[in-house]
Amino acid sequence: MLPKATPREELLINLRAAYARMWVRLRGSNREITGLVAEIGLPILTIGAYVILYRAIGLPPTAGAAVIIGGAMIAFWTNVLWNMSSQWFWERESGNLEMYLVAPVSRMSVLLGMAMGGSVNTSIRALGIVLLGIFVFQVPFQLADPLSIGLVFVLTLVALYTMGMLFASIFMLYGREAWNTANLLQEPVYFLSGAYFPRIYAPVVPFALQAAGSLIPMTIGLDAIRRLAINGEGIATVWPHILALIACTLILFPLARRALNYMESLGKKEGRLTLRWQ
Amino acid sequence: MAIADFVKSAGESFRVGWKIESNWTDPVLFATYQVIRPLASLLIVAFIVIIGASVGASANSAFYSQYLAWLIVGNAFYAFVLQIMLGMAILVHVDRTRYEVLKNIYISPGTLHPYVIGRGLVSVVNGAVSVILTLLFSVAIFNGLLHMNIPLNLLNVNLLMLQPARHWLHALRCKHRFESNGIHPGRLCLRHLLPSRGSHLPNCPTALVRTADLECVADNLLAQRCSRELRSLAHSELHVRSCLLGCDDSCYIDHWDCSVQAGRTEGEEARTL
Repeated sequence: MLPKATPREELLINLRAAYARMWVRLRGSNREITGLVAEIGLPILTIGAYVILYRAIGLPPTAGAAVIIGGAMIAFWTNVLWNMSSQWFWERESGNLEMYLVAPVSRMSVLLGMAMGGSVNTSIRALGIVLLGIFVFQVPFQLADPLSIGLVFVLTLVALYTMGMLFASIFMLYGREAWNTANLLQEPVYFLSGAYFPRIYAPVVPFALQAAGSLIPMTIGLDAIRRLAINGEGIATVWPHILALIACTLILFPLARRALNYMESLGKKEGRLTLRWQ
Repeated sequence: MAIADFVKSAGESFRVGWKIESNWTDPVLFATYQVIRPLASLLIVAFIVIIGASVGASANSAFYSQYLAWLIVGNAFYAFVLQIMLGMAILVHVDRTRYEVLKNIYISPGTLHPYVIGRGLVSVVNGAVSVILTLLFSVAIFNGLLHMNIPLNLLNVNLLMLQPARHWLHALRCKHRFESNGIHPGRLCLRHLLPSRGSHLPNCPTALVRTADLECVADNLLAQRCSRELRSLAHSELHVRSCLLGCDDSCYIDHWDCSVQAGRTEGEEARTL
């Protein structure tokens, strides 16, 4: 029987597992430079369409700036959806899930590694999208309080990737539905989060839509970042957003942990945890 | 019999394509996805215009209604681009690397054509469903619920505008019409419109004949050259219009790609037909 590890050793081994998973993600996503270029350049086409549309209907240039930030945040949602939520499904299909399950680490540390790697990767791409967008479309930004923007951005990412952890846990037992479910969460979330609108919390948007959109941390974070970066507002105006993001994280993280444990035990009972092609 | 086999293969391919597109998942989930995705895309565009109007960029509501109608139609028909181009583009790649069935299809007695057609039809059907649903939802939501008076009347679509497309197809088929040894209209495909295989390579004349020896009945040599069935026929019965070569001009028959080169003397560029 193996000797029981002390809490410090347990923490260290979990952190090492998270770092290892992050390293794989960073290395895997950045080894092909053309992929990086495409992931920065292609979203600009979509964003460009909306910026041109806004210009055509006579909206102020700040609307274009809002779309550029929204387009950059879409990259995070796509990453959460495909590289976090569906990840257990892909790992099972490729045969790695068994190895994760027999490893003497928490599954949450593996998810943490994925989240860290994904957030760093996507941040690089999002920064590229924003810079390229500003350069191409010449939209105005007012960075009066960069520290607040950084704080809100980090809080948004933490909340978003915690949601990704929850989805990953729920998707763990999913079979082929994972693909379509992830697809199903794309366009509706683009719509509900208001990524391509100047602002989602506008009187013209029905309250039900605003409420539904607020269930997604990206909606809240996006609105706060837009207020700070485009309107030049201070942190005092976005404190409800900050509180909401912290609350999202505090609620979603335990939920993700519980869901992961539940799905894992359910999968073991039903004998289909590592069953491929189901 | 061959047509029946072709249709059967295409039908089976359609069935497989449907399974692949839906990823063998719950039909209800797939149907929901098929409905919600275009609807969400539509609502993004619609709300952009609605929010734009609310901000008051322009007080002209008719402008927004007109603009929204264009956006709805463009957005709806973009489903075809997305479904067909994306679906067809990754078809060979996915079948070769992910499902690993391309080799089995390739060595089967049939060809890839019915398979690709069947798979393409799935994308067409999915795209068509998306287009119809998007247009119906648009009218129901914007005109029915929101009373925005979008100038979009689905019952008033001018189907006669499809006539030019029909005429173009007809002209294309006539160009490659079956004369004595041409291509059957039903078998016309993109391959017939592309340069023949190896046309970029240097020619290797293998025989010297006189055009007077050739019969002059074919209307379109290109069609003959590109038709696989007629390629062997071209070796023995090559038909060249006399007006192009002249009765006594010498010409070379290239057996490799069944083309004819005329007037090729030293220092003169050959005319390849």
